[in-house]
Amino acid sequence: MQFQKDVEIRAPREKVWNFIWDVDRFISCLPGCKDAKTIEAGKRYSATMVEKVGPFKVEFPTTIEVLETEKLTRIKAQAAGTDNKISSRLKVELEVNLKGEGESTSLSFVAGVDIVGKLAALGHGIIKRKADQALDEFVQAVKQRLEGDS
Amino acid sequence: MLKRFRLEEPESANEACELLGRFGESAKVYAGGTELLLAMKEGLVDYERLVNIKKLGLNQIKRDNGTIHIGALCTHRQLETAPDLQRSLPALVKLERNVANVRVRQVGTLGGNLCFAEPHADPGTLLIALGAKIIAEKGAAKREIAAESFFVDAYETRLAADELLTEIQVPVPPAHCGVEYLKFGYLERPSVGVAIALTARDGKKSVGDIRIAVGCAGPAPKRVAEAEALLKGKSTEEAIRSLPRAGEVAGRAAQAISDLHGSQEYKEHIVGVLLKRAFQSALSQC
Repeated sequence: MQFQKDVEIRAPREKVWNFIWDVDRFISCLPGCKDAKTIEAGKRYSATMVEKVGPFKVEFPTTIEVLETEKLTRIKAQAAGTDNKISSRLKVELEVNLKGEGESTSLSFVAGVDIVGKLAALGHGIIKRKADQALDEFVQAVKQRLEGDS
Repeated sequence: MLKRFRLEEPESANEACELLGRFGESAKVYAGGTELLLAMKEGLVDYERLVNIKKLGLNQIKRDNGTIHIGALCTHRQLETAPDLQRSLPALVKLERNVANVRVRQVGTLGGNLCFAEPHADPGTLLIALGAKIIAEKGAAKREIAAESFFVDAYETRLAADELLTEIQVPVPPAHCGVEYLKFGYLERPSVGVAIALTARDGKKSVGDIRIAVGCAGPAPKRVAEAEALLKGKSTEEAIRSLPRAGEVAGRAAQAISDLHGSQEYKEHIVGVLLKRAFQSALSQC
């Protein structure tokens, strides 16, 4: 499943960049993401992704690995986790791009999400829709946090 | 493999609600079990307790003052073979006859089907077009939920966790009313469903009231008032000319999801095709 979310933020690029690396605050913008921990600053992090579709709940303890960074411009990361309870695996490849000058920044998220295992029984379309909603909420929360900060 | 669970056997709806309230997310209502037990066997859901409501006697079909009262525990098979329904709601009987397969219909209940809110279920769509009401009970409190607002999202309804769906009330269609539900899908899995209930006026020269609902294509069945407005009160000729437009509107409203059974665009197109056919069939019944 491929997703792309773009958002214009009324904040300088440096502020947006620093916010992304304030992993606790950044990750808490993603609905259902909790317990963000830094394993190795700038390289490895962990978090738990919790999602619910009606009575179905999934909980993926996830490791996030930063693969590439270009300061103030780009971050490439991948995340992987397994919900042993329902034998399902989550894999996310994420690219974050920042552009812009002065007080405005264009932030773009390109995510490739793969979910395999029993969770797929709910239907690919339903999962994709839920993930899309979560990412919409995520970018809006990021925007609000950054624009809300004085 | 089904994990161990405790089977609670309440003797009243009140007691069932009390158990659901007390045990919260660790308990679930057990009616027919056709979907719940499959999900439990697959390990997709895990409940410590199942609240068996099969003994609550909610399996009657009654008719009074122009309303058909269907107990939540009526099985699809029961609805398919009820002589009263054959006369008053043939469209529902036809729908039920085509739900899944006979093994599922023999034990699966209408209430369970609605509560599970699986997106590819048929009954919700027709019940919306029929203007049905869902009766939910919690202790002594009872409330009505219009079928069109019962479904929130895939697998999600307006029912509170400690509420029990006890009955479905369907108004008997008036004279000169035609009702049709058509679906399209692969084997037992519908990927598009369209329901229409309409009344004809002036010897079928014009369309009176009309209700249109779409389901299966998107996350939850829904009424399409915008498509209804294109046809309601129009001369039959004008309404027929407006069907392609109404089909487009309904297709978009379905929030169709692309999957192995068809792309979003394909399902939207099928909504239009079924809407046209359902309109013609419903009109012919008036």
